[in-house]
Amino acid sequence: MQKRHPLATFALYATVILTCAILLFPIYWMIVTALQPSSNLRAYPPQFWPADPQWNVFADLLAKHPFMLWFSNTILIAFATMTISLAVSILAAYALSRFRLRGGTGLGLFILTSKMLPATLLIIPLFAIFRSTGLVGSLWSVVIAQATLIVPFCTWMLKGYFDTMPPELEQAALVDGCSPLGTIFRIVLPVAAPGLAATALYAFVVSWSDFLFGRTFLTTNDESWTLQMGIASLKGEFVTEWNVIMAGSIMASIPIIIVYLFLERFLVGGLAAGSEK
Amino acid sequence: MATVQFDQIKKSYGAVEAIRDFNLDIEDGEFCVFVGPSGCGKSTALKMLAGLEATSGGTISIGGRDVTELGPGKRDIAMVFQNYALYPHMSVRKNIGFGLKMHGMPANDINARVEDAARVLELTPYLDRKPRALSGGQRQRVALGRAIVREPKAFLMDEPLSNLDAKLRVQTRSEIVKLQKRLGVTTIYVTHDQTEALTMADKIVVMKGGEIQQVGTAEELFHTPRNIFVAGFIGSPGMNFFHGQVETGARGPVTRFGDAEIALPGKCAAMAGRDMVFGIRPEHLQVADSGPSIGLSLVENLGTEKILHFHTPAQNMLELDRSALANDEERDAQTMLIRVIDDRRYSDGEALNLSFPVDKIHVFDPDTNEVVG
Repeated sequence: MQKRHPLATFALYATVILTCAILLFPIYWMIVTALQPSSNLRAYPPQFWPADPQWNVFADLLAKHPFMLWFSNTILIAFATMTISLAVSILAAYALSRFRLRGGTGLGLFILTSKMLPATLLIIPLFAIFRSTGLVGSLWSVVIAQATLIVPFCTWMLKGYFDTMPPELEQAALVDGCSPLGTIFRIVLPVAAPGLAATALYAFVVSWSDFLFGRTFLTTNDESWTLQMGIASLKGEFVTEWNVIMAGSIMASIPIIIVYLFLERFLVGGLAAGSEK
Repeated sequence: MATVQFDQIKKSYGAVEAIRDFNLDIEDGEFCVFVGPSGCGKSTALKMLAGLEATSGGTISIGGRDVTELGPGKRDIAMVFQNYALYPHMSVRKNIGFGLKMHGMPANDINARVEDAARVLELTPYLDRKPRALSGGQRQRVALGRAIVREPKAFLMDEPLSNLDAKLRVQTRSEIVKLQKRLGVTTIYVTHDQTEALTMADKIVVMKGGEIQQVGTAEELFHTPRNIFVAGFIGSPGMNFFHGQVETGARGPVTRFGDAEIALPGKCAAMAGRDMVFGIRPEHLQVADSGPSIGLSLVENLGTEKILHFHTPAQNMLELDRSALANDEERDAQTMLIRVIDDRRYSDGEALNLSFPVDKIHVFDPDTNEVVG
């Protein structure tokens, strides 16, 4: 291997450090803001680490607001959305990838087009549907609304992954006596684990960060709110306790990090290596 | 173990007919090879036999039972794929035992059968590895293990050696033949490599354009090819072809090769005056003291043997684009080859006299491409 020029190494490291700094600064600032009173926020010069960190802000948040209820609502919605989106998109993506369907390409593109519609465009028709079905105010309204936006993209992500898998794997399983559905569960899904993990993470993150659908369909009482709605409600008309909002934001980020850490081992590619020559 | 029959099998994709009028009987325990150029339909025929492709007409029977409408898992066959198709998330042990598990065999029996198969294929040390930790040759043996452990009625193999390097291919070729002879399982093997076909098969099926061109043993295909395509496809290098008019000479039928006369088989007497296509294999052309004179254009020295190239006389050149050899990319109408095994040194541009042994000349009808007589 050719030895890298010292200047090139410096440029590489400088770019990596700068990129990390840009990505991590908001998280650092969120923590710093949470740990000091709001009055310190505009202090000059700014404090890069509060002299007296106010750790009780988390306890205050939990005591004064139904934070854990919002938390569990959001967890329920995110897991339900992820599960439904994966179940639908696995079957759709498999069919689009493997079967020669009449108009299959057109259908695939149509599914992708629906992803390009802005969520705001869907709000009014979805609201009309949920009102007539009595779902307004129910967590299911948010789950279904999010799935309509997430499924198309998940389908395309998974189709791309299935396309890279040699069809001979499934053919070998069929010859070995596996049923077509068994082939999907025993061969296709385990081999596609990295693709599934990436898709699941995408669905979870998108659902977790939703504000629009929750704000529209779950306004009736604060017991059905999601975290994002709850945190937004902490912003007062005259006074805003930024430290409380940031404490809520820190706690809201934790599940995403846990889900990522759990799925990370599947995200590492190369599982399919060895199936072929 | 079982016989396999294809009866009037057809396969079409819309208006395109990939296979037509496919009739074939494969005997119990026979090693049958489908050979032909790319796109000739050999893999499609194998996939229809496996149940992985639906037929568009006709019936397929395995062991006398009509399996045309049965799924691949119900045909009691095992298949080895070109890319091996090993399950990457399973260990070698689970890969080999997967088919048995799907057929509901108890775990203890599966384990015993897997161990046996692994012993035969020398895979025992690798049983708990994943396929990605194996070499190409070992993966190929796992794919074979997955087939033999099932003890199926027939083995189907779709170019299983094409991903191996040349040396390993020759070695594995003989291992597969020995294994097949020992197990006695009817085997249908697809390849585009005629050397594989000639060395392995009891019965060779030569295909082109979705049709069977000829079925026979290596001997039959080599010595009595039914048409120009088979004559040109089988043999390495393939048969030389030239074109000429049958004339009546003093001692029987002759044709002109350049300025010289060459004697033709007696059956050509009835064709006097007609233009025919003649074929002679490179190994049957002999360097002689007299006979048509040619100049060598290229000498390829392969160690034990030499391939001598010379230009086909202009009036004897075949119009390739109109013949059955139109799609043969390696075919060159302007050059004929001689294969010699001797100690003589040949050089480019050297003039030689050739002898065309009369009993080695094949005669083809240029209109039908079929052999005459």
